[in-house]
Amino acid sequence: MKVAIVGKGGSGKTTVAAIVARTLAREGRSVVALDCDTNPNLGISLGIGPERTLELASIRQSLDEEGGAEHAGTIDELLARFGEDAPDGVRLAVVTKIEKPNPG
Amino acid sequence: MRIAFVGKGGAGKSVIAATTARLIGRQGHPVLALDMDTMPGLALSLGIEVGPDGLPEELAEQREGEGWVMRTEVSPAELVERHAADGPDGVRLLTLGKLPGHVKPGSTTAFRHAMGFAADGWSVVGDLAAGTRQAFFGWAGFARVVVLVAEPTAKSILSARRLALLRPSMPEAAFVVVASQARAPADGPRVAAAIGLPLAGVVPYDAGVREAERSGRAPLDAVPDSPAMVAIGDLLATLEHAA
Repeated sequence: MKVAIVGKGGSGKTTVAAIVARTLAREGRSVVALDCDTNPNLGISLGIGPERTLELASIRQSLDEEGGAEHAGTIDELLARFGEDAPDGVRLAVVTKIEKPNPG
Repeated sequence: MRIAFVGKGGAGKSVIAATTARLIGRQGHPVLALDMDTMPGLALSLGIEVGPDGLPEELAEQREGEGWVMRTEVSPAELVERHAADGPDGVRLLTLGKLPGHVKPGSTTAFRHAMGFAADGWSVVGDLAAGTRQAFFGWAGFARVVVLVAEPTAKSILSARRLALLRPSMPEAAFVVVASQARAPADGPRVAAAIGLPLAGVVPYDAGVREAERSGRAPLDAVPDSPAMVAIGDLLATLEHAA
């Protein structure tokens, strides 16, 4: 099953996504939670805390900085390298490219 | 005064930006509100019933080697005069989050073009896109005050911390925090301390504002004396001082 959750900021996307992911995991499914927001906060709602959530985003960013996209491996390799274990066995990864701020 | 409101989606940027713009308008100053969001909603918070559709397609053109740009023969003054929507208290509203043609929202040339008139004594209040990707495009060197709007929640605070990291790119602007939808007296200081910037104001959680938002009315019209509206009035005084 592949579920995409969309909507206006603050409407509850992240909270709903996290609860859906953990509920599916508790039912015994393998779950990958992908944070596709340019402001990736899904880690907080999944329960890994703000500091680890912040760190995950910078790991994602370093992938771009080292030009890793050219050497990107399989999805499993990427999840192993850049993902994070969240409660109930959910595997979390930040997918969004965090663009460097361009103040112009 | 040129103020940029930034923060996580749902933190309250639009209500605070719209109310601030209208209160500046009531002081008798010309004021332009800019909705920088790709999904614009500032018109509702201002009390403009039908949101502007954005700028007309003919304001954009495709140029060899440059791609899509805003036509420069339309002067900034004309842009505002002809294309900004009229709001209450004399506020004019331009929707710049979605630009005509295929001009990229992040195009700083488009932003500067639109901003060219701002030197002429106008106050400018920007409601910036949520998130950090396009956070301050064009606003560096333009904004005098950047207001990080954050609710007292972990997610909202984390978003504001990310935005605060962009501060070195805007050395000329004062960065301040507004704690919004605060529910306890300690919320303001707690939010500001977590973000690491000075607290400029606390806008309390306000059921009247929520109800106004539900019915699609501008909070300043629906509940003008509510605690949140009073707090935004106090905030404006503080921001005028900061700028």
